[in-house]
Amino acid sequence: MAEEQSVIATMKRGQAAGLLVLFLGPAIAVYTLFSIWPLIATIRLSSYASQQDGTLLFAGLSNFVTVLTDPGWRGPFLNALGNNVVFFLIHMAVQNPIGIALAALLSLPQPALRATYRTLIFLPTMLSVVIVGFAWNLILSPLWGVASGLLKAVGLGMLFHPWLGLESTALPTLALISVWQFVGITMMLIYAALLNIPEELVDAARVDGLSHFRIFLHVKLPLILPTIGLVSILTFVANFNAFDLIYSVKGALAGPNFATDILGTLFYRTFFGNQLQLGSPTMGATVATLMFLVILVGVMAYLFLIQRRMQRYSF
Amino acid sequence: MAEVSIRKAVKSYEAGVQAVKSIDLEIADREFVVLVVPSGCGKSTTLRMVAGLEDITGGEIWIGGDLVNDIPPRDRDIAMVFQNYALYPHMSVFDNMAFGLKLRRFPREEIRKRVDEAARILDITALLGRKPRALSGGQRQRVAMGRAIVRHPKVFLFDEPLSNLDAQLRVQMRTEIKKVHQSVRTTTVYVTHDQVEAMTLADRVVVMNQGRIEQVGPPQMLYHHPATRFVAGFIGSPAMNFLPCRLERMGACLGVRLSETVLLAVPASRTARYEPCLGRPMVLGLRPEHLTDPREPARPDAARLDVAVDVVEPMGMETLVHFVIGATPACARVDPATPAVPGGVLALHADMGQMHLIEDAAGSVV
Repeated sequence: MAEEQSVIATMKRGQAAGLLVLFLGPAIAVYTLFSIWPLIATIRLSSYASQQDGTLLFAGLSNFVTVLTDPGWRGPFLNALGNNVVFFLIHMAVQNPIGIALAALLSLPQPALRATYRTLIFLPTMLSVVIVGFAWNLILSPLWGVASGLLKAVGLGMLFHPWLGLESTALPTLALISVWQFVGITMMLIYAALLNIPEELVDAARVDGLSHFRIFLHVKLPLILPTIGLVSILTFVANFNAFDLIYSVKGALAGPNFATDILGTLFYRTFFGNQLQLGSPTMGATVATLMFLVILVGVMAYLFLIQRRMQRYSF
Repeated sequence: MAEVSIRKAVKSYEAGVQAVKSIDLEIADREFVVLVVPSGCGKSTTLRMVAGLEDITGGEIWIGGDLVNDIPPRDRDIAMVFQNYALYPHMSVFDNMAFGLKLRRFPREEIRKRVDEAARILDITALLGRKPRALSGGQRQRVAMGRAIVRHPKVFLFDEPLSNLDAQLRVQMRTEIKKVHQSVRTTTVYVTHDQVEAMTLADRVVVMNQGRIEQVGPPQMLYHHPATRFVAGFIGSPAMNFLPCRLERMGACLGVRLSETVLLAVPASRTARYEPCLGRPMVLGLRPEHLTDPREPARPDAARLDVAVDVVEPMGMETLVHFVIGATPACARVDPATPAVPGGVLALHADMGQMHLIEDAAGSVV
């Protein structure tokens, strides 16, 4: 370390700067081109209004005021935001506990077929969302889906409903399909964190008198909290950016009656237009900026309120 | 407080590897037994079998009069100290020590009392509020011991507890462990690969090799009367010299022929014991400390030996002299004042009263 510092210290100013550009330049260039510039361009676009003749006129924050107050915009936006919150909460309530439980089971000393289960559970993650959406559409279809037949076969036929078609159940059903697809990622991340806990610590807990379940609860769980936090924030970002599953199952109108409309689909219709609705790049950029702000606030809150208090442990 | 008995215990793994091959060991109540095993010989397996962390393939393990083969670790009433301390990183020192008691639903005051007492014994009272990562290696080791002490278990199990500490701290903690045992008197089984730890700590040392017990006995007995060549070579540092030899008659007595020119007289008292070995290839075992400078007055069993010095290693309180007898390298511990120079000839006295005669093929001490 000391040697490296002295090498830089002996360099001329220009040389050291050249070194910085050499090492950091490519990353900054790529990141700026594909992330920072589009973001700034989007925010900039959201402050313009398009005229009848197609020219853009600077409009300040008026687009945001429209989205948040105009009766025609406010309702759909709040509906999408609310649906998105529900979508996220279902993920948190279902995906994380199941992912943690699966990882805990996999990390027990002697499960047979460990690798097989791991692969099978991770498999849906590797499928295209379009295929997942299509497959579940078929499975749950009241006309030709296997779900109703399967339920009838075990005498639970009366439980079947056209879940994807009912306003009350369409959104939770879509959220659960998404959970089914991505629970493998949660499981893998937590499994990796669990493997990182030294065997000796588990032995010590066993000698101290804990059952496997209590070892998990009192020793392993506190040690993987940072990973659970990471998984949660990844889920948050992914959920508020979600679009593809809804689009592939329900289309851009996110039916029935916008019951599955989330910010992603709202943005899509606003920006590109749909059926009778004309596309508006400026209003689309406004919705996109609002999505960005929602995610920004969430991530900041996590970083400043939770991450700071969390301790990482090295073993 | 309890005795531990291990009866015909076997541990084999699926690949057909037998880590532990039928061990019999009786450990008395309050005894401090050290299992000393050279590195990489299923070192901790025996200990983990006693702890219940490892299933046993065959045989029986009894703790305090109960057969514990199928009893999980938490019900065996044992406490274990691990090589890497295995402290819970998210708990304070106090909680680390109190955790096992809390789980067993001890009253709060009792927990407080026991932790305070253990902290006092180990001199870690000031550290009770800290997290393990704010502790040094030696302090962590104390906490790990504290966690064992507060439980007042029937048996302490130590799995190489000092191997991660630096040399100076190791010596210090060794003394601490002995002191703690003297004050709590709990039956203790301690695994190490360090024969010095074994010698200094143990009431009885168990030397294991290749999953078998080579010899069990008090440290002094193992040092003076090793049963096998393995024990003779393993206990003591620098290691015992092993010199190929043959027995010959020297008048009424016997002599050890080391080379064409070297013949050392065996004490008359051992004639009857060694006579059956006449003519067979044997090995003479003689510790470096029994190859010394000629002394005045000469010891009765001392045999003079002239050697060509190869290397001289002054250690301060003594000097190690390396040389070759026949074709075998050997070492002597001489007085620092002895004028030994590399290439020179040095007159040594072999204290044949301390010799060991070992069967070359079987490795057993006659």
